[in-house]
Amino acid sequence: MDSTLQSGPDAAVKAKKSKATVLGSQRPSWIGKVKKDRWLYVLLLPGLIYFLVFKYLPMWGVLIAFQNFQPFVGFWNSEWVGLENFRNFFANPDFVRLLRNTFILAVYDLVFFFPAPIIVALLLNEIRVNVIKRFIQTMVYVPHFISMVIVASMTYVFLTTQGGVLNEAVFQITGRRIDFLADPDWFRPLIILQIMWKETGWGTIIFLAALASVDVEQYEAAVVDGANRFQRLWHVTLPAISSVIVILLILRLGNFLDNGFEQIFLMTNSLNRTVADVFDTYVYFVGITQGAFSYSTAIGLFKSIVGIVLIYGSNWLAKRFGQEGLY
Amino acid sequence: MNVKVLGVKRKIALLCAVVMMLSVLAACSGGNGGSNDPAPQEPANTGGQSAGEGNANAAQAEPLELTIMVPAFSTELPDGSSPVLQELEKYTNTDITMQFVPNSSYGDKMNITLASGQLPHLMVVDRNSASYINAARTGAFWEIGPYLQDYPNLSQANPIILNNSSVDGKTYGIYRGRTLGRMGVSINKDWMEKVGLSEPKTIDEFYNLLKAFKEQDPDGNGKDDTYGTVITKYAGPWDIMQVWFGAPNKWGEGADGKLVPTHMTPEYKEALKFFKKLYDEGLVNSDFAVMDPAVWLDPIVNGQAGVMVDVADAARRIDGRMQEKAEREEPYIDVFQAPVGPKGHRDMPTSGYANVIAISKSAVKTEEELKRVLEFLDKLGDVEMQMLLGYGIEGRHYEMVDGYIKPLTTPEDVALVKELEGMNQMLTFIGPVTPQLEMTVINEKVMQVQTANEEIVVSNPAEPLVSEVYAQKGQQLDNIIADARIKYIVGQIDDNGLDQAIALWRSSGGDDYIAEINKLYEEAK
Repeated sequence: MDSTLQSGPDAAVKAKKSKATVLGSQRPSWIGKVKKDRWLYVLLLPGLIYFLVFKYLPMWGVLIAFQNFQPFVGFWNSEWVGLENFRNFFANPDFVRLLRNTFILAVYDLVFFFPAPIIVALLLNEIRVNVIKRFIQTMVYVPHFISMVIVASMTYVFLTTQGGVLNEAVFQITGRRIDFLADPDWFRPLIILQIMWKETGWGTIIFLAALASVDVEQYEAAVVDGANRFQRLWHVTLPAISSVIVILLILRLGNFLDNGFEQIFLMTNSLNRTVADVFDTYVYFVGITQGAFSYSTAIGLFKSIVGIVLIYGSNWLAKRFGQEGLY
Repeated sequence: MNVKVLGVKRKIALLCAVVMMLSVLAACSGGNGGSNDPAPQEPANTGGQSAGEGNANAAQAEPLELTIMVPAFSTELPDGSSPVLQELEKYTNTDITMQFVPNSSYGDKMNITLASGQLPHLMVVDRNSASYINAARTGAFWEIGPYLQDYPNLSQANPIILNNSSVDGKTYGIYRGRTLGRMGVSINKDWMEKVGLSEPKTIDEFYNLLKAFKEQDPDGNGKDDTYGTVITKYAGPWDIMQVWFGAPNKWGEGADGKLVPTHMTPEYKEALKFFKKLYDEGLVNSDFAVMDPAVWLDPIVNGQAGVMVDVADAARRIDGRMQEKAEREEPYIDVFQAPVGPKGHRDMPTSGYANVIAISKSAVKTEEELKRVLEFLDKLGDVEMQMLLGYGIEGRHYEMVDGYIKPLTTPEDVALVKELEGMNQMLTFIGPVTPQLEMTVINEKVMQVQTANEEIVVSNPAEPLVSEVYAQKGQQLDNIIADARIKYIVGQIDDNGLDQAIALWRSSGGDDYIAEINKLYEEAK
């Protein structure tokens, strides 16, 4: 991983140097280089074209965020309104509520869900009987393959006040039913629990891979030094996988404002909408159901900018604290 | 030798590269080519048409290519091999591609299709949606109003409904006609006998019936496991019941002649108090705010609830489901008109139509083509086509008994039902009256209720008006009120909270909406 990460900048530096040395000659050396490796560049071409056509070209579409876009008038003839969509959005009373809901859910997600796969991976790592370890591993990552729609339906079947299995159990014990699905206070815990149930096992895979690469000799040395299990975990295992944790954390922060559209959409109802509305559902709501394409694009663009800032910021911070960043 | 080999290698490499590039380019242009495909054929089509116009016989022309986008209420849908579809193509001389879109996501799909600019020839669209109104105004659809008089069936279209379904007074789509007084209260017949109650004539009687269904063990199993009426996330039943209480249908004329939205009337609050009572006493399912409308009928079919407030023909569907479980001669369900409320006998009507079928300008390019498409729509009004698309092929899907239609399809025969399913979505029901369904007890009752309803339906005076504010913010505004209503019913907010929600509605654009509707209403007078 290291070598590939570093080869990019290194190569660039080298190219610069060599360019500088031959500046005097009639032909810049990069043309010669391209000529020499031309077939390799040709092989590169389909990939480049793919990115140009499907990634960079459509990106110009974000310009409709600055227009009053009407599909039948077309991109070129739609009225140019500058930052009006952004102004409307920030002045909208919904903005504060959306930001709050999105932010709280994102923080919950980071605090409760992000460490969960690490903990499970560490626990799994302590199991010495391979068959049991594999069995548990498979069992915990199976939910990942269940569609969110099914998860939402299952949640309904278990928790509805009209004969939901879990709610009946609660009723037997406490004598009253809790309206998990409609009570706004239960919305966020429910979302996080669903995510944890569905994705924790899947998340452990990458940490288990990192754990597998930890040098066994270090454990042996630690045992010789008289370290108990917890000390070995703390002083050997965690430092060994810390770079993976940091990289995943940075990537996660880049998607900080993505709450997962379909899950929230499926769990929203009239009674919990005040806490359930987030940027993702709002974009769908005004963009797709109300046809306000420019306005919703502006919101999406705002979200992306926040994501970029967070990625750069966290990467910078990680480097400050002596960790390897993402790049 | 070596050099030669190298040369060959190079050639192969070059060839590979060229092939790869070509394939990339081909892939790119492939998408465009596909969408442009119909274009080269069009001149041929129109040529054939104009040549045949002399004797005004389109049957000699090439079959007209049509793509039709309609909502679907089932997952088993007809494909090209469906004899019903083939029969339709033969009768109308067309080559039809059906685009079925699940009804639950039809609105989204419609908006995305409108935004993409790649429209089918014909599509069912919601006249009230902002994107349709914008699209119509910017010229995405043909204005067909002036043409309608030239066609035997379409010329019979009801002018009031045409006006209701127009945009800025122009008809951009032909409406799909629906019975005006379609609503009804479906009730479990056995349960009524068990608790000794008959048709609920007033709201008090309606309440007593629900109460009895909850408390008097109507299913006779000795357990407290039944309740009155079942309601889902879909708020239709609340809308219907509040009209019983005298609240206007969306908009009502106040004492000063100005239009007032229903949630700002005192009758609306009375209705909400009643709903709250239903909820507090457990006469309605406690999870109505989160229940999926797709399983709406289940509690009634499974004997947990006894009443459904919806369209009257729901009675037929519930009964059908119950007959499937245990067939018997007598129907399980009876259906009645709305109970009489404090302001008299009132019920919610439909708009007289359910969405419109619009003809897109991007797919139908010339006026000649438009005329052929209109001819197709006109033919759908013929008795033969209404029968074909509504009931299928005689002898295969239905048979005639004493001038009535008797369906031969059963829900178990999926393959047979599939040939027909969803085809009726393209019908406009503008044209001659066709034979009726076999008069079973329940069909007769549904007919009676719907006919009697026409006397008591409350119309919405703002129906034909197209509001700019509503087109932009309607969904948000509607949500504020709909959410507040649900919150009030379950007790999350009180009268105070309800007033706050209405204040929020007004400040979020509701006041502008009221002003705009009143202005339009004055102009239309």
